[in-house]
Amino acid sequence: MPFPRRFRCRALRATPAFSIVLAVAPLVAAAAAPAAAAPPPSFNRDIRPILSRCIACHGPDAAARAANLRLDDREDAIRDRRGGATIVPGDPDASTLLERITSHDPDLVMPPPGAGEPVSAEERATLRAWIAAGATYQTHWAWIAPDRDATTPDAGGAWARHDLDRFVAARHAELGLSPAPEADLATLARRASLDLTGLPPTLDELDVLLADESPDAYERFVDRLLDSPAFGERWARVWLDVARYADTKGYEADRRRTMWPWRDWVIRAFNADMPYDRFTIAQLAGDLLPGGTDDDVLATAFHRNTMTNDEGGTRDEEYRMAAVIDRTNTTLGAWMGLTAECSVCHDHKYDPLTSPEYYQVLAFLNTTQDADRNDEQPLLHWLAAEDRAARAARLRDREALDPAAEATTERVAEIDREIAAIDARAIAVPVLREQPADQRRTTHVLGKGDWRSPEAPVEPGVPSFLHPLPSDAAATPDRLALARWIVDDRNPLTARVHVNRVWERLFGLGLVETQEDFGTQGTPPSNQPLLDHLAVRFMDDFGWSHKALCREIATSATYRQWSATTPQTLAADPRNEHLARGPRFRLEAEAIRDAALVASGRLSRTMHGPPVFPPQPDGVWQVVYSGDAWTTAENEDRYRRSLYTFWRRTSPHPAMTTLDAGSRETCAVRRIRTNTPLQALVLLNDETSIEAAGGLALRMSGTTPSIDEAIILGFRLATARTPEPDEIAVLRDLYDRTLVGYRSSPESAAALLESARVTAPENGDAPELAARIVLANVLLNLDEFVTRG
Amino acid sequence: MTDRHDAIEREVRREAERASLLGTTRRAFLGRLGTAGIGALGLGWAAADAGLRVGKDAFGVGGLDGLDLSRPHFAPKARRIIYLHMAGSPPHHDLLDPKPALNDWNGKKCPEELLDPENFAFIKGHPEMLASPYGFAKHGESGTEISELLPGLARHADRIAVVRSMHTDQFNHAPAQLLLYTGSPRLGRPSMGSWISYGLGSENRDLPAYVVLVSGGKTPSAGKSVWGSGFLPSVHQGVQCRSSGDPVLFTRDPAGIDRGTRGATIDALAELNAMQCERNGDPETLARIAQYELAFRMQAAVPETMDISVESPETLERYGATPGTASFANNCLLARRLVEQDVRFVQLFDWGWDTHGTNPSDDIVNQLPKKCRETDQPIAALLDDLAERGLLDDTLVIWSGEFGRTAMNERRNGSTHLGRDHHPHCFSIWMAGGGVRPGIVHGETCEFGSRIVRDPVHVHDLQATVLHLLGFDHERLIRRHQGRDFRLTDVHGIVVPGLLA
Repeated sequence: MPFPRRFRCRALRATPAFSIVLAVAPLVAAAAAPAAAAPPPSFNRDIRPILSRCIACHGPDAAARAANLRLDDREDAIRDRRGGATIVPGDPDASTLLERITSHDPDLVMPPPGAGEPVSAEERATLRAWIAAGATYQTHWAWIAPDRDATTPDAGGAWARHDLDRFVAARHAELGLSPAPEADLATLARRASLDLTGLPPTLDELDVLLADESPDAYERFVDRLLDSPAFGERWARVWLDVARYADTKGYEADRRRTMWPWRDWVIRAFNADMPYDRFTIAQLAGDLLPGGTDDDVLATAFHRNTMTNDEGGTRDEEYRMAAVIDRTNTTLGAWMGLTAECSVCHDHKYDPLTSPEYYQVLAFLNTTQDADRNDEQPLLHWLAAEDRAARAARLRDREALDPAAEATTERVAEIDREIAAIDARAIAVPVLREQPADQRRTTHVLGKGDWRSPEAPVEPGVPSFLHPLPSDAAATPDRLALARWIVDDRNPLTARVHVNRVWERLFGLGLVETQEDFGTQGTPPSNQPLLDHLAVRFMDDFGWSHKALCREIATSATYRQWSATTPQTLAADPRNEHLARGPRFRLEAEAIRDAALVASGRLSRTMHGPPVFPPQPDGVWQVVYSGDAWTTAENEDRYRRSLYTFWRRTSPHPAMTTLDAGSRETCAVRRIRTNTPLQALVLLNDETSIEAAGGLALRMSGTTPSIDEAIILGFRLATARTPEPDEIAVLRDLYDRTLVGYRSSPESAAALLESARVTAPENGDAPELAARIVLANVLLNLDEFVTRG
Repeated sequence: MTDRHDAIEREVRREAERASLLGTTRRAFLGRLGTAGIGALGLGWAAADAGLRVGKDAFGVGGLDGLDLSRPHFAPKARRIIYLHMAGSPPHHDLLDPKPALNDWNGKKCPEELLDPENFAFIKGHPEMLASPYGFAKHGESGTEISELLPGLARHADRIAVVRSMHTDQFNHAPAQLLLYTGSPRLGRPSMGSWISYGLGSENRDLPAYVVLVSGGKTPSAGKSVWGSGFLPSVHQGVQCRSSGDPVLFTRDPAGIDRGTRGATIDALAELNAMQCERNGDPETLARIAQYELAFRMQAAVPETMDISVESPETLERYGATPGTASFANNCLLARRLVEQDVRFVQLFDWGWDTHGTNPSDDIVNQLPKKCRETDQPIAALLDDLAERGLLDDTLVIWSGEFGRTAMNERRNGSTHLGRDHHPHCFSIWMAGGGVRPGIVHGETCEFGSRIVRDPVHVHDLQATVLHLLGFDHERLIRRHQGRDFRLTDVHGIVVPGLLA
C-alpha cells in the first residue's frame, strides 16, 4: 500500500502491478479476427473510450501511476519491460495488455475487480484489431484546432439552407435517416422566440408573421427577435449561471452585495452584439485594457461573483484562496470546457494538465487586490451611461466658463453641486484590480490544494499541451495575456465551447453533450465536422458575433424541422442526437414564469436595475444573523422578467430551484432537466402562477362573447396554436362544470379572484371569471405550454 | 408482503375518497394511467418507452433516465435515517463526555499545550478552563455516563452508542455543517440525504424520499445547501416540511380552488396532454401526466402525514408535542410519522446550541438547560415509540452537532456568562438502531476533553459508516461531475467497525 487507505482517492485505488508477470496460459484468440476488409479502429473514436478506464492508474498523474505504465502515451505503452511490452504494435498476441484484460484470475485481470467496468469481448476484439494495425495513437480531438480548410459535404441537396445543414445531411446519409418536414410557421415562431429571447411571441407578433406571405418572412421574424431587447436578457440569463451570479455573498449570513450593474453590463453586451472575444477580454481583464473605460472595469465583476465569507473568526486567506481557485476553474471551464478541479490537488488524472500547470494558470488570477474582506474592496464607483454623459457635460461647461466673468464663481459652485449630486448616484460594485507590481503575491503549488501547504513557487503560464501565449505578451504575462490567449484563433476550445453552448440552448442537447467537459472523459462530439464548421464560421466569418451565430442556426433547415416523433424515429434515435427531427424539450425555470406572464399580459418589460422581489411563500427566508427580509413587490416589479429576481445563494426562489435552476454557488454550464411532482405544484399553485392565470382569464373575458372563442384565444395565447375541436370540448366541459360550482359558491369565486388579483369587469360575472381562471390555470400547465416543440 | 398489502389498501382507499370527493365520473382511461389505458389510446409504444417512469415512485425516483440507482451494494441494516442535528453544536463536556479533572482546573489559566497550535474563533489571549456545572451518573447495564441535563436519554443508555471521539476539520458553523453533510466545507456538493435518495430511491409514492424539519426559529448556518442535491439531479434534494404554513411549499391549492376543482383540472390536463402526446409522441409528456397525478396525491398525503393532531393525547403528551405550533417536539413526532411512511431520510435541525456565553441566551447556565428541556423528552419519546413499533431495528437515529466546544470559558469581551468557543478537535455524538452496536461508548478524549486519545472518528468516517449501514460501499456510491468521480466521503473515510452491531 503506497499510503494509508484513508488518504486515497477512489481513482487511486492500488492495483496489482502490471509488472508482476505470472505464467498465464496463452489465451486462444476467442474474439474473431476482424474481417480483412474492415478499416482499422480509430483511436479517438474506438480505442480511447476503452483505454480511458485505465487512465486513472496508468495515465498522466505521476503520483498515482501504477506499475510505472502509461496507456495514454504510446511511447511508454510500447516500451520494453522485462522482455515484454504492454502493447507490441502489429502483434496482438505478444501484447500483455490483451492477456491482462482477458484473464480470469482476479489478481491479474485488468481493470481489477471493482475498479472499473470490465472489458467486453467486443472491445477486446477492437483492441486486438487496433494493435494488429499498428496501435496508432491520436491526440484527443479537442486539443487539435478545428480544420479551417475542411470541405463541406455534398449532401442535403435542396433541403439544406446553410452549410451546417449539409453536415447534418451527411450524417443522415450515413445512418439512413431522412429529415422531418418543416414545422408550421406558428410552431417555428414560438420555438425561435423562446430560444432567442426567452419569451413566447405575442399574438400581434404572431399574426404579423402569419400574414406575411413573402418567402423570407421567417428570416425577418428571426431578425426582429435578434433586435429585441429581450434577446440580451435571455442570453444574459444563460451567462449568469456560468458566472455564478447572485445578489448575495454566500456562506453563513449570506448578506447582500451589489452585483447587478454587472448583470446589466452583460445584457447590454449581448444586445449590442459585442463580439465574444471582446466580451471575454473585458470580463477577465477589462481593468488592464489600455484605454479601458469604466464599463470595461465593471465587466471584471464577473470574477467578483465568487463567494466571500464574513462569518466571525474565519481566516480571510483561506477564503481568498478558495475564490481564486474558483476563478481558475471557472475560467477554464466556462471558456474552454476544461475540468480543472482535479489539478487543485494532483495532476489531472485524465487530461494532460499537471498540478504545477494548474497553479501557473491560477497565478494569472492570484494577484488581484481583493482578499475576502468584509467591505468587498476594491470597488468601482460606477455611474450609469446617462450620468456619465451628464457629468462629462458639466465638466465641459465648467471648463468653458470665462474665469474673468463675474458670475463664474457662483456658476462653478453650482456645477460642482450638480457633479456631487451625480456622484452620489454612483453604485459601488466589487471589481478586479491588479496588485501594484512591488506587492504582487507569489503563487505556489499548494500541497493537496491546502492553502496552508505552499510548495514550489510558479510563474504565470499556460498548459503545455495547448498553444503558447501570444507572442506580444509581456515577459511576466498578466491576466490580459491570459484573456487574449483564451480568444486566440489558435485556441482549439473557446469557439467550440461557445458554439456548443448556443447549440444546446437551441436543440436541448449539445453537440458535445458534456458541455462542461471537452476533455478525454467528456462525451465525444456527436458530429465533430459540424461542430468544427460552426466554430470556424463563428471565428472567421462572423468575427465572434453571437447574433450572427444564433441567426445561422435558427434559420437552418435542421432547426426548422417538425419535432414530433414516431415509434420508428424514436427507436432509431431516442435522444435526437442525429437531428432527423426538430428539438422538443421543457423550458427552463425562468422562461416558464416569463411565458406565463406574457400570456397573462402582466409582464413588465422594464429592463435593468436592482433585483426585485416577486411573491414567494412566507417563511422561506429564515435567515441566520443577517435578519434580512423578503419584502414582496406590490408594483410592477412583481411581474418583471425572472432574471431580475433577487438571487440569494443559500435560499434562491423555491419555484426556480424546483424547476432545476442551480444555486449559483459555483459555475454551472448545464442544467439537468427533471420532471417531478413538485414542479407540477409550483405551476399549479405558486402565487405568480395564479396571478398569471388571472391575467390570462381577464384577456379571455375581454371582447369575446362565446366560451369557445375565449378558449381559442386563451389557447393561442398560451401555445401559439389554435386548439382542435376535441381540445376545445375538454376545456368547455371543464368550464361548464366549474362554472356550476362557482355559481353555487360565489364566495369561492370571490376568493379565487382575490388569489388571482383580478376584479370582474363592470357588469361582469365573478363566477364566469373564476371559471376562466381555472381554464387559464390549466392552459398554463399544459405540456405544450411548458415545452417548446 | 403485508407492507405491500397495506400500501395497496391505502391507495385504493385514497382513490375511492378522491372519486367521491370529485363527485364526477372520472374518465376511465385517465383513472389510473395504466399501460392498458394508454394502450387503448394508441400510446402504448410511448408508454413502453416511458416504461419505468409511469406509475413509479413519487419524485420520479426509480427510473427517470437513470436518475437514481435504486439498489444498495449489499444487504442494508438500516432502511431509513432520522438525523437529529443540534445546530450551533452542543458542549460535549456538559452532556456526554464527563471530565472531572476540569473541576481542579476550573478558573485557572489553561495549560500551554492546549494553546499550541490553536486557532480559536473568538477566544483571545490566554483563556481559563471551565468545569461543567452539571453532574454525570452511570446509566443502564452499560453504565454509560450521561449528564443530568438529559434524564430522558439516560433511560436509553443501553440502546445508544455514544461516540466521544468525533472530529472535524472546520471550526465555523457553515463550513463544518457542510463538511458533515456534504463531505466538503464548500458549497455545491450533494448532501447525505441526497446521496441516499440517489442510491436507494423512494419507497413511498406520495411523499418525498428526503424530508427536512427545522425548529428553533432559524435555518442552519449553511442554509439550504446542507440539504441540497449539489450536482445530483434536483429530485434528490431535501424537501423542507414546515410545521406552520404549508407543510411543503406549493401543496396548498389557492383560495377559491377546492379539491374537487383541482381534481377536475388535473383530469382535464391529463386528457389534453394525452392528446398532445398522440401528436408529438414524446414519452416526456406521458411522464408529465403521471407527475401531475402524483402531485395531486401528494397534496393530500403530505398534510395528512404532517397533521399530528390525529395522534392520541397520550402520544402528544409523551413527546410534549402541541399541534399547530413549530417545535422540536412536534418534529420528533413528525419524524416517526414520516419513517412510518417509509420516508428514507428525515433530517431535523434545531437551532440554539451555539453556547458561547456572551449573554444568558447563549450560555451554558440558562440556554443549555433550556435547549435540553426542549429536546430531551421528545428524543426519549421518539426512541421509545420507534422501539415499540418495531421501527428502531431498521431505522438509524443519529444525534450530533457540527463540532465540539472548548474546555475553556470563552469570556468574549470580558463576558461574565459561562460559555464555550468552537472546537473542531473532538466532540460527542450518539447513534441508535439500524445496525448500530447498542450500549457502548466509542473513543476517548484527554482529561480536558480537548484532544482525542483513542479511536478517532472523522466526520468522513461517520459518513462511511452511515452509508455502510444503509448497504453502500462509500467508495462506490459515486457520481461523475466536472470530469471526476465524486462521493460523499470525498477521498477519505473508513467504516468504523466498533460501531456496528
